[in-house]
Amino acid sequence: MAGKVGQDWRYLAAAQERTVKERRKFQSALRDLDGADSSIVVFGSLGRDEFTPGSDVDWTLLVDGIADPAHFDTALEIRRRLKELGHTPPGREGVFGNLAFSHNLIHQIGGEDDSNSNTTRRILLLLESQVIGRRDAHQRTLHNILHRYLYEDRGLWYGSGEFRIPRFLLNDIVRYWRTMAVDFAYKQRTRGNEGFALRNIKLRISRKLIFISGMMACFSCHMDLTSEEKELFYGSKAVQPVVDHLQKTLTLPPLQLIARVLLKYEELWPAASALFSTYDKFIGILADESPLSNGKTRRKHLDELPFEDLEDDEVFREVRELSHRFRDAVHDIFLRSKTDLSRLTIEYGVF
Amino acid sequence: MRPIGFSTGAIAYADFKQALELLRGEVLTCVELSALRFQEAQPLLRGIRELDLTRYSYVSFHAPSSFDPEQEKVLVNQLREHLPPNWPIILHPDTIHDQSLWRHFKSQLAIENMDQRKLGGRTVEELAVVFDQLPEATFCFDIGHARQCDTSMTEAYRMLRAFQRRLVQVHVSEVNSSSQHDPVSYAAQISFREVSGLIPAKIPLIVESRVISTEIGREIRRVFEALPEPAPACASARPQVCQPYV
Repeated sequence: MAGKVGQDWRYLAAAQERTVKERRKFQSALRDLDGADSSIVVFGSLGRDEFTPGSDVDWTLLVDGIADPAHFDTALEIRRRLKELGHTPPGREGVFGNLAFSHNLIHQIGGEDDSNSNTTRRILLLLESQVIGRRDAHQRTLHNILHRYLYEDRGLWYGSGEFRIPRFLLNDIVRYWRTMAVDFAYKQRTRGNEGFALRNIKLRISRKLIFISGMMACFSCHMDLTSEEKELFYGSKAVQPVVDHLQKTLTLPPLQLIARVLLKYEELWPAASALFSTYDKFIGILADESPLSNGKTRRKHLDELPFEDLEDDEVFREVRELSHRFRDAVHDIFLRSKTDLSRLTIEYGVF
Repeated sequence: MRPIGFSTGAIAYADFKQALELLRGEVLTCVELSALRFQEAQPLLRGIRELDLTRYSYVSFHAPSSFDPEQEKVLVNQLREHLPPNWPIILHPDTIHDQSLWRHFKSQLAIENMDQRKLGGRTVEELAVVFDQLPEATFCFDIGHARQCDTSMTEAYRMLRAFQRRLVQVHVSEVNSSSQHDPVSYAAQISFREVSGLIPAKIPLIVESRVISTEIGREIRRVFEALPEPAPACASARPQVCQPYV
């Protein structure tokens, strides 16, 4: 994409390179801690290829197999080794940094038992997870989650509409996006505005990006398949090839997934260029280790910026401006363009 | 009706003669002579000529699941000497030390997909590596192994699509979390039906479920329910989502 629009997104390239190195380091440190029944999964910036200095390491030991008390000891050992590597532990909500079980992720979609943590783990497993080491448990869990979303989506197999979009899955992705937005307000209250600026900018840019990539993945069930494939898969109610297609699509980090779609629409390249350039600058700010006059990096400055100082703060104004440019590019592509992307977004992503 | 039979190893562990005796009362057209341990192979291969297998229209031989490089040479020689050329040889890909020894068998050699204990032969990509080395080999699809590796049956679907042309036999059982071959459960039946349309009607089903002799007929019925003859297209055979699972 960068080549097509004549741009050089060096912060993104650097973050990708840093992520690959970091994952390799983890692979070596955690080598003997996985197995056929469990996968070590990383999320967040490590999962999206956007790792920057100061990024949290969001991980989970995903168990898909017989119950074994030793899984807990393994999780503790992962925690210990990551601490030894000097990594910041995951966020305070307790969603990551421990065990997760495939049964909850697969069986509890919707309803009272689908807790906020469970939804978060499931959707992020689909949208931004990478495996450190053995993939078996991760792969099985992904396939089964996707199987449920697709198989139980009656409209996908019997619908009379023009498009084949998995609404059950898309609705859960939309729900997760709105949950993140609501939880932003919840954290603002429960944490007494602490960390507002950094969380706010992440919500406006990187969290929104995850949502867009999930929506694109759902659209790909119609847009990326040939007419013959659609006839074969949907006509014969063959769930597995669509699971396979979606799983492969979701293997791509969100930025790559979006770039792959946008490459097909030359008329959208100016807006795409704006979107990726903005994102590149955002990553550049998070990665910048040079100190401000107060001795803090810009990331730390935003993280510790008092709520009362937001409006007068130069760094916050800069990132807010970035978020506005990002929003405008998103609107140009997904709401204002005369493409089927725009049509699908309004029909499936909004209403 | 699909051609169906049992593996002798499932009926009488390490005793193919007793297994054939126990299967005598069943209406089966296929059988797999199983020598899963290396020491069982020689007596079985030498005894083939004395066996009355005329009732079976399809016979295959399951090679041992472990041997060292020296034993591999011995085994290959024994197979060449004693095994009729039209009997498929079912082989676990992880047992192979020297591919060149097995290339001689061409399409008589049927590579089986593996369970999750193994580090290879479990996916399309892993099997493709084996078939690259043995380009004329055929494929024995173990649906129980495939389900154990991926209960969504996505990998099973991929294997059946990728290796359709090579498919000569299907192993049927439920492979439990300890990788033992159990009778086919209700849950396994639901999964198997999802890909049953990709298994051509003429392909022999060899049941590997460990059952006592009085349960043979019942297991055959369970397998037929799980793998009905294919519809013209690959249809998902799970119960309709709007209906209860009954």
